[in-house]
Amino acid sequence: MSEPAPTPEASSEQPDTERPHTGHGFGRVLVAVYGLLALAATGRSILQITEYFDRAPVPFLLSALAALIYLVATIGLARGDRASVRLATIALTVELVGVLVVGTWSVARPEAFPEKTVWSHFGAGYGYVPLVLPLVGLWWIRRTARATAASDEEVARSAD
Amino acid sequence: MLQPLTVVLLVASGLLGLLAAHHLLRGRLVDDPLIIVGAVIELALVVQLVVGLTKASAIGDGAERATFIAYLFTVLLVIPATIVIAVKEKTQWAMAVVLGGALVVAILVARLQQVWSLNV
Repeated sequence: MSEPAPTPEASSEQPDTERPHTGHGFGRVLVAVYGLLALAATGRSILQITEYFDRAPVPFLLSALAALIYLVATIGLARGDRASVRLATIALTVELVGVLVVGTWSVARPEAFPEKTVWSHFGAGYGYVPLVLPLVGLWWIRRTARATAASDEEVARSAD
Repeated sequence: MLQPLTVVLLVASGLLGLLAAHHLLRGRLVDDPLIIVGAVIELALVVQLVVGLTKASAIGDGAERATFIAYLFTVLLVIPATIVIAVKEKTQWAMAVVLGGALVVAILVARLQQVWSLNV
C-alpha cells in the first residue's frame, strides 16, 4: 500500500483508498451481470406464476427461488462488507448446487420441466451463464478475501 | 414492430459498444460522448415503449403479449444502471460494464422484434 493507513478501520472509511472490495474493479462487471440475471429471473418468474402457474408449478417456483438468490448475490457483492460477502457466498453456493441439481434433473427427466427455468439444462437457454457465474463469483470472493488479508497484514507491518 | 426504430436502436447500441471498446483500449472513463449516445438510446427506447404499448394488442396470445410488454419496460433499466455503475468505477472495468450494457440492449431489442414477428 502506497499510503500507510494507521488502522484497517480508518482506511476502509476513505472511499478512494484501493482496499479490496467485492463490488469494485472486476466486481462491477459481476454486480452488473448478477443484477441483470436477477432482473431476468424475477421478470420470468412473475410472468410464469401469474400467467400459467398451473402448467408447471415446480419449475416456476424454482425460477422464483433463483430470482431471490440472484438478488441476494447482487446486493451482497455490491455492498462488500463482511456480513454481505458472507451472505453472497451462501447465495452463490446455493446457486451452484441449484444449477447442478436442476440441470442434472432436467436432463434425466425432461418431462418434469416442460417449461424453461434459468437453471434447467445447466442454464443452456442463457448461454450457460448460470453455470459459469457462481464459479467466477466464488473465485472472485476468495481472491478479494485473500487480497484483503494481505493488505491488512501489510498495514499491520507498516504500523510496527 | 417499427422497423426503422429497431434499426436505429441496434445501430446506436453498436455505436455505444464501439465507443466503450475504444475507451477501454485507451484507458478512458465515462465522458460526454458516451453519455450522449446512451441518452439517445434511452430516448429511442422510450419511443419504442410508447409505440410498443399502443401496438401490443395486436399480439393475440396473452402470455406472449405480457412477455412483450415486460421486455419493453425491462430494456429501459439497462442503460441508466450501466452508466451509474460505470461512473463509480475508476478503472477500465467501467468500460467493460458499458460494453456489456450495450450488448444487452441490442439483444433485448432483437428479442422484442422476435417476439413481435412470431406473434403478429
